[in-house]
Amino acid sequence: MRTGASLAVGERPIRPSAVEWQMERGATQADHEATLLARIARRDATAFETLYDRYSRAIYSLALRLLGNPQAAQEVAQEIFLHIWRGAGEFIPARGSARSWVLSLAHHRTVDALRRQRVRAVEPLAEGDLGAGGGADVVDQALRGVEGATVRSALMTLSPEQRKAIVLAYYGGYTQQEIANRLRIPLGTVKTRIRDGMQRLRGQLVQGEEERQ
Amino acid sequence: MTHEQASELLAAFALHALDRDEEQAVSAHMQSCAQCQDELASLREVTEQLGSAVGQVSPPPRLREAVLAGIRSRPDVITLRRGWVVAAAAAVLLLVLAALGVSLSRQLTALSARLAAQERVLALLAAPSSRSVPLTGSVTAAVRFVYDPDRGRGALVVSDLRDPGRESVYQLWLIAGAQPESAGVFRPLPGQPIVLPVTADFSRYQAVAISVERAPSGALQPTTTPVLLGKL
Repeated sequence: MRTGASLAVGERPIRPSAVEWQMERGATQADHEATLLARIARRDATAFETLYDRYSRAIYSLALRLLGNPQAAQEVAQEIFLHIWRGAGEFIPARGSARSWVLSLAHHRTVDALRRQRVRAVEPLAEGDLGAGGGADVVDQALRGVEGATVRSALMTLSPEQRKAIVLAYYGGYTQQEIANRLRIPLGTVKTRIRDGMQRLRGQLVQGEEERQ
Repeated sequence: MTHEQASELLAAFALHALDRDEEQAVSAHMQSCAQCQDELASLREVTEQLGSAVGQVSPPPRLREAVLAGIRSRPDVITLRRGWVVAAAAAVLLLVLAALGVSLSRQLTALSARLAAQERVLALLAAPSSRSVPLTGSVTAAVRFVYDPDRGRGALVVSDLRDPGRESVYQLWLIAGAQPESAGVFRPLPGQPIVLPVTADFSRYQAVAISVERAPSGALQPTTTPVLLGKL
């Protein structure tokens, strides 16, 4: 866009030198992605384009899965990328990988959008719907969307109650309190299921990762 | 919130499944707790995998265009908070003092401590060559464009402007002859002034204008009559 270019005179992105590119090729993928975010924090638009190309599919797919609507998913994906552009400086490499930071931000923003949608529109799940049937349909539907075999089998190692709580939280965008209300069980029970379920998932998934390496 | 309470809630925090108050409390505790930071990092490896496991679908190419256009047109909207309101008022005072040729270094030092962006705006306002233009038009507003033609730095200062509605944003244009060029989109905040820095060769432009355009990223060219205009 011509106008953008003319306005960006004073804040032209720092152009990566050829040397930097060579170094990055030799670095690990994780280092590379942390470097990308650091460059984005310095307003490097080239790094941002690279990040877009690397993450747009993952971010859009997650948003689409949760929101179920391509238009809404595109809007929230755009919002997520703007947040990354503005907030890349908040990423601290010592506190986790760039990918987990990006996906956590994407999930957070998408869930916020989902909650706004629910406030505006008619709530698709009537209060208590998850009670009698145990929310089995909602959970089954969410699980059908999980195509990654490793994650799928890790989820299947959980007790059905733990799995339900975690699936409703992560893929359904419900808070612990909402899950308790809908399942008509005490909040403390939901908290325990989520905590224990996440511990178990971590054992499965992180252990699985170590085996692969 | 105690460490025990926070660590009990970390799994739900990683899932974004806490109520707003709890989330803020955990977040506040985390600032000073390395143990919870480590724990969260490892829980986020789990949520990262949950997020990556959904069926993968490519977004339409227009999303890429929209995202990249969004960052090019609006690199750095600065939101004024708390002390900023005072700072903005002080900045206007500084502008007056600058015109009188009063030394500003002490005031500038006091005001520019916190943010580089804030420093930039204040430096702009304090420059002897800077000018300030009120924008007027069909809506009641308190909006000024402050710029320094010598250094090519400027900023739109929006103190009062009505909300454009959920579907719309305001878009700032620099006008060269009959040719408007976008200088970014913004949304006013109730009770909080905002500042939009603009870098340009101001000798090329005769005016700045604001029009109402479609959210979130505005238009390539104005699609509505400007609601506010200021001559440079």
